Amino acid sequence: MNRREFLLAGGLVGLGTAAAVSVIVKDRLPAPPIDVTGEATVRKLSVLQNVAQTETEDPHVRMQRELVRAMSKPVEQRHWIMIIDTRKCVGCQACTIGCIAENKLPPGVVYRPVVTEESGVYPNVQLHFLPRPCMHCDNPSCTPVCPVKATWKRPDGIVVVDYERCIGCRYCLNACPYGARTSDFGRFYTSGAAQGAPVTGDRAVYGPVGPWEKEPSNEYLKHWTREHHDSPVGNARKCHFCLHRLEVGQLPVCVTTCIGRATYFGDSNDPDSLVVELKTKHNCQTLIPHWGNKPQCFYIL
Amino acid sequence: MTVMQSTSRGPWISSARGLSAPGAIVWVLWLILTGLGLYGLYLRLQYGHILAGYGSYVPWGLWIGLYFLGVGISGGAFLLGGLGFILGLPGFSTRSELRIAISLSVAALIPSFLGVALDLGRTERLLNILAFPSFTSMMAFNAWMYNIFLVVAGLAWLISFKDHSTWLKPLLVAGCFFSILFPSQSGVFFEAVRTNAFWHSPILSVLFLASAVALGSVGLLFTRYMTNLSGKTGASQGQDADQAVGRLRVVAIFAIGTYLVFEFAEFSVAFWNPGAHSKSMIFLLFGDYWPVFWLLHIGLGALIPMALFLSRARALWPIASALAAIGFAAARMSVLVPGQIAGQIPGLQEAFQDPRLVYSYHPTLMEYLVGCLMLAVGIATFVVIQRLSDTIGQWTKQTA
Repeated sequence: MNRREFLLAGGLVGLGTAAAVSVIVKDRLPAPPIDVTGEATVRKLSVLQNVAQTETEDPHVRMQRELVRAMSKPVEQRHWIMIIDTRKCVGCQACTIGCIAENKLPPGVVYRPVVTEESGVYPNVQLHFLPRPCMHCDNPSCTPVCPVKATWKRPDGIVVVDYERCIGCRYCLNACPYGARTSDFGRFYTSGAAQGAPVTGDRAVYGPVGPWEKEPSNEYLKHWTREHHDSPVGNARKCHFCLHRLEVGQLPVCVTTCIGRATYFGDSNDPDSLVVELKTKHNCQTLIPHWGNKPQCFYIL
Repeated sequence: MTVMQSTSRGPWISSARGLSAPGAIVWVLWLILTGLGLYGLYLRLQYGHILAGYGSYVPWGLWIGLYFLGVGISGGAFLLGGLGFILGLPGFSTRSELRIAISLSVAALIPSFLGVALDLGRTERLLNILAFPSFTSMMAFNAWMYNIFLVVAGLAWLISFKDHSTWLKPLLVAGCFFSILFPSQSGVFFEAVRTNAFWHSPILSVLFLASAVALGSVGLLFTRYMTNLSGKTGASQGQDADQAVGRLRVVAIFAIGTYLVFEFAEFSVAFWNPGAHSKSMIFLLFGDYWPVFWLLHIGLGALIPMALFLSRARALWPIASALAAIGFAAARMSVLVPGQIAGQIPGLQEAFQDPRLVYSYHPTLMEYLVGCLMLAVGIATFVVIQRLSDTIGQWTKQTA
């Protein structure tokens, strides 16, 4: 190589390195929020307005009031957390089913399974139940790996997925240590299910997808039908604390379906909220804390 | 056997007088691979991912393994071919020899893109990765790097037809720089998953770089040996090719050895001090994956090729190269799959039962068929680029 070639080579390598470093640094620096913030996010909800507050009211009613209070603040002043009292959980899986019904989840997609653990030796045996929603980590490992900025943490702490941008690479699925993200592979519970037998034969007739499976889900305040392989088919899917319900003053469906009042939800920025009270009073634990994800779902053991 | 004179096209490309015997075999194999692959593509397009074996707990499978294999061959082939040309090593110093390396490099990368594209849940949004990249993700960084590399490799290939250009060597230096970076980044792709103990190890990028050098050397050795098969009548080219094959064989031996040493280093730390990654390690070494690791990767893919490379029978070297490539495909799967089968919440698999929610993975027929398509596309790309090289080369000679 002569001197000119050497300088050109150095220039190309240097230019490439400088460009790479600059784009990496740019994307690592704090960026303005993707979501709308400020007054536009304040919700004046009339839920429970005409119901007098009592000291002994059900935790659900109290949490609902607190939800309305939180929604009257701009989004960046809220910070949603969930507390699960495992001592009260009976493993009924109502939250799992409620979530599936609310979000119209297809086969293989689950936002809130309940893990059952058996401990001890007969006769001293015990069953423990551990509902596992998305942890909505304060330092999520799933969001920075997304190559197209399709998932991020909102100012109120909810980790969301943009179904219209997600390319379905499933990198985030691998990055989540809790297995809280699942991919929608485009299946339907009723596709290929037997509908009956024709009059002249004994073979079952396999029908089309049941119409109830084409009902739209309202995740992220939009309508998602999954028909014609539309999103969220092919996308990563996860618990979003029923964001669409929060916007209209309703608690996440896993909270309202919990028969044992074992799941609590609220704004941790509100010092008078039930979740803050529980978190302070109890020795709350998080799952696999050593990865440093700072999960925002806490467990009372 | 039909003899092709002073051309780099190889025995699998028809000459004016028809096909050579090895060429005919390669063509038949290619047609079979293409037929199978197209059927796999039909299944993928018709049924989406329903026929695939991966799921939500093991989200990546065979196609991603093959993708990283292709990336390794691509980076290694360009690095060795480019360096050999820049340094003027016999067997690498002519432009036609350089073009073989570039063709192989590009031909390995194109099917890798195909594999990734078909693996995506929303294939039609593939270009989002270039349009809306987030460079906090190694996947986006890699995607950009591959595309820049392709541009550099394409420019170098085009300029190589000019007799005197001051840009060729600088472009090759830049290309070699990228060829070191992007195979290493393939390791970082896994390392960056900080919540996965099996992957979150800095040695992976070194392992992937070593494997890229090994794959590049065996890939080039194979193609140089085959292209030289029918070109031996052209004495100087035959000698140069022989020298190139000899050098590549030495590089392959050292690179495979280096890979095994680093792999041993990584495993010994985990094995003598079991931690969070021990579940993956046991699965790989003694569990369901032992045949892939011990038989395919270590036995068939490393020890046997090393033994064949150490022999003086040159005819065994391309066989060793093919075996080493299979071995590194197994090595890729030995990184990919064990890192995904160790769930961190005991009982999660049983909590909600579904075939897609299991911590195990076996490639399905559809995945293997698409794998055949990737191989067929790679072969076709190589042949097309080599044909173009010959055509443009002859044309530039005539016009000069």
